[in-house]
Amino acid sequence: MKVGLFIPCYINAVYPEVGVAAFKLLKQVGVDVDYPLDQTCCGQPMANAGFENEATRLAVRMEDLFQSYDYVVGPSASCVAFVKENHPHILEKAGHVCANSKKIYDICEFLHDVVKPESLPAVFPHKVSLHNSCHGVRELHLSSPSEMNIPYYSKLRNLLSLVKGIEVFEPKRVDECCGFGGMFSVEEPEVSVCMGHDKVMDHISTGAEYITGADSSCLMHMQGVIKREHLPIQTIHIVQILAAGL
Amino acid sequence: MSTKHSIAAARFIENRPQEKWHDETLWMVRAKRDKQSKSLPEWERLRDLASAIKMYSNSHLETLLQEFEKNAIANGAIVHWAKDAEEHNQIVYDILKEHQAKNLVKSKSMLTEECEMNPFLFSKGIDVVESDLGERILQLMDLKPSHIVLPAIHIKRQQVGEMMEEKLGTEKGNFDPTYLTHAARKHLREKFLHADVSMTGANFAVASTGEIVVCTNEGNADMGTSFAKVHIATFGMEKIVPNREALGVFTRLLARSGTGQPITSYTSHYRKPPKGCEFHIIIVDNGRSEILAQPDHVKTLNCIRCGECMNTCPVYRRSGGYSYTYFIPGPIGINLGMLRNPEKYADNVSACSLCLSCSNVCPAKVDLGEQIYKWRQDLDRIGRANKQKKLMSAGMQYLMERPALFNTALKFAPLVNHLPRFMVYNAVNAWGKGRELPTFAKESFNELWKKNKVK
Amino acid sequence: MSSKEDILKRIHANTRQQYDMPDLSLNAIVYEDKLKTFIEVLKAAGGEAYVMQPDDDLNAVIRRFYPEAQRIGSNLNEITCATFNPDELEDPRELNGTDVSVVKGEFGVAENAAVWLPCQYRYKAVYFISNALVILLDRQELVNNMNEAYRRITNADYSFGVFMSGPSKTADIEQALVFGAHGPIRVTVILI
Repeated sequence: MKVGLFIPCYINAVYPEVGVAAFKLLKQVGVDVDYPLDQTCCGQPMANAGFENEATRLAVRMEDLFQSYDYVVGPSASCVAFVKENHPHILEKAGHVCANSKKIYDICEFLHDVVKPESLPAVFPHKVSLHNSCHGVRELHLSSPSEMNIPYYSKLRNLLSLVKGIEVFEPKRVDECCGFGGMFSVEEPEVSVCMGHDKVMDHISTGAEYITGADSSCLMHMQGVIKREHLPIQTIHIVQILAAGL
Repeated sequence: MSTKHSIAAARFIENRPQEKWHDETLWMVRAKRDKQSKSLPEWERLRDLASAIKMYSNSHLETLLQEFEKNAIANGAIVHWAKDAEEHNQIVYDILKEHQAKNLVKSKSMLTEECEMNPFLFSKGIDVVESDLGERILQLMDLKPSHIVLPAIHIKRQQVGEMMEEKLGTEKGNFDPTYLTHAARKHLREKFLHADVSMTGANFAVASTGEIVVCTNEGNADMGTSFAKVHIATFGMEKIVPNREALGVFTRLLARSGTGQPITSYTSHYRKPPKGCEFHIIIVDNGRSEILAQPDHVKTLNCIRCGECMNTCPVYRRSGGYSYTYFIPGPIGINLGMLRNPEKYADNVSACSLCLSCSNVCPAKVDLGEQIYKWRQDLDRIGRANKQKKLMSAGMQYLMERPALFNTALKFAPLVNHLPRFMVYNAVNAWGKGRELPTFAKESFNELWKKNKVK
Repeated sequence: MSSKEDILKRIHANTRQQYDMPDLSLNAIVYEDKLKTFIEVLKAAGGEAYVMQPDDDLNAVIRRFYPEAQRIGSNLNEITCATFNPDELEDPRELNGTDVSVVKGEFGVAENAAVWLPCQYRYKAVYFISNALVILLDRQELVNNMNEAYRRITNADYSFGVFMSGPSKTADIEQALVFGAHGPIRVTVILI
């Protein structure tokens, strides 16, 4: 089982430590993981802004980069969801059949559904509030969406239960959007900031010290609000907790 | 890179207490809806069925509408067909003229809003009275609805009270909702009793029986149709359902989704006109048949106008109905506006963070968020793509397609971290409104990997 | 070409994929105690329920609920407390000012406390115009849910019929719930 680590553009630039934690974590659970060099972007920012065609060559490039791997695994639910949901029809228009969509996983989904570790050495003696991100929940089904009448589940919570000392909370509006939305955040900045503020306050009301989730983009957005307003909470990607101490 | 929506939304948010009230009140409706939906183990099956019935009925309109007409005529109704808004309004006016009617009492109908019927009839000298309390309040204030189910959700009790003092002579300074509602009850009671003609929309039109079904909580449709000798019911043709059994699915979903009630107070079935009365039914196309030809958007015809996509939409809740340029706001309004006139209503397409909550709450499974994504792809083609956004996107594409350039950019990106604040957080930096920029890492992941630092 | 022909022609030309009618069978909710559920849901909808006891006198019960009522309308023979028969009026407007109307329901629906009322009066206004409505309902005549309800009236013949659940209500002013927007302010279902 060969796993290609998918590091989206902004994690590469802003949160390399998330990539490092993802790599260490996969190693720890015994996965043969490699990083195909010189990755850039999956094309989601352009496509969500309405320029899907600008994502075509990026999708083709991703296909080439990950051709030889059994799985593509990335620490960003939204980017993974984009590849899974949208690369097929983007590539179809260019005459390609998308292979990545069938083998790409968000790292939490991959750990939870494929690797299924029974234990992790991680210790994280803190209170965390789970950020159930829109695309993680509603496209990748990492947890039960609040809108649907299906039994509660959370793959993130299940994974965090392997971490010693942690206390997990969830906000009242359990999977309301944080207002990032890619280009939305700058096209509708007032609404976006308002959503971000409300979301952070909801996380703070749980008494948590950290907001954690599978999407660095949401965390980046909320971190921007936290820093601007000097709010008493921090953000941390879930792989950094799962890989704590490695 | 602003749109009409984003500008209006910014204005709405300026009044933060009102925005917060609007957000929390509509969220409360969403929470009530969740409680109701979770009280039925078969909820998701009902949604599947509702969607499947609509996919069936909307792809068999040719036969179902004719079956409906045949049965309605057999019931004693007079059936009219209207190609567009103009013809619809003319049909209504002709009926009024024929009966020398001076006034029309109507219940809430998004279709008559769509056809802009009231202004047309006013211009002909007809006194049109909206009888839904929220709609009546707005009519007396000369305002438009900001939500399709909760039309006056943006109005405060004090505003209602002050208007009623002036228009209905209520006690000065009494803003109690019960007092005001009962004052309106008295005022509208007179209107009902002396209506020349009454009008309703229809939530459903049943092909197998030729009846129409109207759902209200107030009973205004029923009061309106109880005294006038003429009842006009109008519906957009996607309101057709094949039979009563199918109604069982929709009446279980509609109010639970829309207001979080197990059913509306009144689910009224109008089948035959009372003795000595006339019952007119208008079947309206007004662009619906064009939607049939658009496979990407045909599911918008599944919509049963419950309004829940507005209540769940984090953008709608924080921007209010007036921030949208189409008369129906929220996720379904963004889509219906684009289907009506994409050039004219493209400004609403920005009002979505693609969170997809709307698609999940929709009782008839309209893929609302996914369709908004598709509309965004069309903006460039119709010349409505934002130039600045297009430039940003193209610039990003250029960079991302050139890994070497991207890696170089990452090397220099940390320099931004040290720029003076006034350069980073200037007027053109929309991100800087309310958020700090992320800090670029000294070494990118790619760089770390190359240097063998990832172990 | 008439508008009808024109519309049908456009529908014909524009209809793409045709979908089949789904099988509507489903495991809809059933309640252990339909009567209990009906009463609970009716209360939540703002209505009142009264279960007749063996020694009860129907007219006395109605009077107990509405001691102040002066104009009570009903066309039911057994309602001796009625002060007039609405069917004898020449104009439905004369119903205005009715305190209580007493009507018969055909069956009730446990999941939402709706009662099916096919119009049994000369004027359907009887069901809506009085300040209070008393609905007489056989407690054996309860179905679980709307799927059952519509199956029961699949081929029923009526001019007008309404599923009524509790009193008239509105929350159009700041989402504050108020009873009696236009129709009855109180609804009492007497389960016989």
